[in-house]
Amino acid sequence: MILETSLQSATPPDAVIELRDLTREYASRAGVVRALNAISLTVQRGEWIAIMGPSGSGKSTLVNILGCLDQPTAGTMRIAGTDVHQLSRQELDRFRAEKIGFIFQQFHLIPYLTAVENIMLAQYFHSMTDEPEALRALEHVGLADRAQHLPSQLSGGEQQRVCIARALINQPPILLADEPTGNLDAANQQIVQEHLRALHRAGRTIVMVTHDPEMAALADRVVELHHGRIAAERSAS
Amino acid sequence: MSRSRFSLLILLRRGLMHRRTRSLAALFSLIVSAAVATALLTLYASLNQKLHQQFRAFGANIILTAPDGAALPPETLSTARAISGPESRIVPFAYAVAQTADGAPIVVAGTDFSAVRAVDRWWQVSHWPDAENLSADSTATAALIGTRAKNFLPGENFSLTYNGHALPLHAAGTVHTGGAEDSRVYLPLAAFTAWTSVPATTLEIQAPGSAAQVQRLLDRLRLALPGVEVHAVRQLVESEGRVVDRTRALMFYSLLLIALTVAICVLATLMASVLERRRDFAIMKALGSTQHQVSLLFLLEAILLALIGAVVGYFLGNLLAFLIGEWNFHTAILPLWQIAPQVLLLNLMVAILAGGVPMRILRAMKPATLLRGE
Repeated sequence: MILETSLQSATPPDAVIELRDLTREYASRAGVVRALNAISLTVQRGEWIAIMGPSGSGKSTLVNILGCLDQPTAGTMRIAGTDVHQLSRQELDRFRAEKIGFIFQQFHLIPYLTAVENIMLAQYFHSMTDEPEALRALEHVGLADRAQHLPSQLSGGEQQRVCIARALINQPPILLADEPTGNLDAANQQIVQEHLRALHRAGRTIVMVTHDPEMAALADRVVELHHGRIAAERSAS
Repeated sequence: MSRSRFSLLILLRRGLMHRRTRSLAALFSLIVSAAVATALLTLYASLNQKLHQQFRAFGANIILTAPDGAALPPETLSTARAISGPESRIVPFAYAVAQTADGAPIVVAGTDFSAVRAVDRWWQVSHWPDAENLSADSTATAALIGTRAKNFLPGENFSLTYNGHALPLHAAGTVHTGGAEDSRVYLPLAAFTAWTSVPATTLEIQAPGSAAQVQRLLDRLRLALPGVEVHAVRQLVESEGRVVDRTRALMFYSLLLIALTVAICVLATLMASVLERRRDFAIMKALGSTQHQVSLLFLLEAILLALIGAVVGYFLGNLLAFLIGEWNFHTAILPLWQIAPQVLLLNLMVAILAGGVPMRILRAMKPATLLRGE
């Protein structure tokens, strides 16, 4: 219902993400591939949604577009009240630094920077580095004693927690998590789940791509994608 | 927020250290680039001087004679010295026909041995006459004997007679040139003049410089010495000009070709180094870095390597030029400080180009694609 009245006028007061007929096409040798096909979706502030679907359904494409790392071929996207399509390249970089925090399945830490420096790198691109604050962020994810370790000296779970601390350091309103527990064992999966729960309780908006029904069950809402379309949308509980 | 020790330079240093092998390969290629550029530019700049020096080994390039075999005017030598300048060498020659003890005629020449030694370097001399070559009684004048002159043996004393005046001589050594010199006896000019009263009839001048410079000297000599015939040794002057011009052209095109080849190698190495870090680029973009921030990081890295490469390469290049000079010209080619900025600029250009091209490629790639590892 909210979608029908959205972009022509103002964004609904609690909608932090609003997509309207979002389409993403890729040119390939086989012809044009439509990864996302006219998707419309609204995410409320503080909501945790899980995006599920088989491989190739467009989940990662959607997250990349939401994270302003990719651009839609058609349709509109408003994030935190801003029509992202209207932003210049530089404005988009700034917007991403301020509004989006990424948690990757592959962690994507810079291999030659220590845990605390990886967090400070996000601060550096946002505004100014603050080591005590970066150390506090590590403390929040239980890694205060691993601050000076390189990613190669950390376990997968620890790397993912550094990734979470990095995603949160600049207080972004939206957290995008692409298979956040996809590369973790059960114990570390549990730890990461706890962190995400805590973030959700603290009012953070989370958009999470997952194959794991157990992870999806933690979300407020589950959106299922098939062939680039929303096939189903239901409450997780 | 308080400032911390994290900075772009730390990021730069860590990145270089982390990819040590690749960084060293890039640095090595930039050192080679700077060394080759330094050596070639130094050689190119010194080539003129060195080739002219080499041509000096072929002897005099200007001959001054009096018309009809007469004596040169007395001021000829001093005038020629003043006009030719301190870098020119002048050898006077005076000739007379004397007689041996058995009455056979022999051509005797008076000259300046130290000047002959410097100018006519192709003369094959067993021992140059000097104080040590005098005979025990030291009344005999040291002489150089042409190998076809007579059967005077080195170390022997003999005497020649001119106009009834006998002159005791000591055969200090022999000379062989394959020319007329082989049938003469050479004495110091002062002793020759005191004995024969015959003044110098020929001056050989070895003048440095290009064909045009030698021609200008010829003109000045003709103007200053109107009663003297001034000839250029045409074959030498013209050959020298041609050889120097062609060698310089060859050197120039070789320099271009080598510089281009090295630049392509450096480009390939540095480009690989930048492209190798496309995932880092994508992570930084995901963290909100601007294109300028990432470009600056990659550019600073290339500039840092180029600076180190230029400094080390400059010294290695000078060493290389020095060794080439020693091996080929038997003289030292000294460093030319004025080419240092050119070498630095060249290295910086190569590095910036090498960093700029992959940055354009990276800019065109989607961070999302790079993060997926595609």
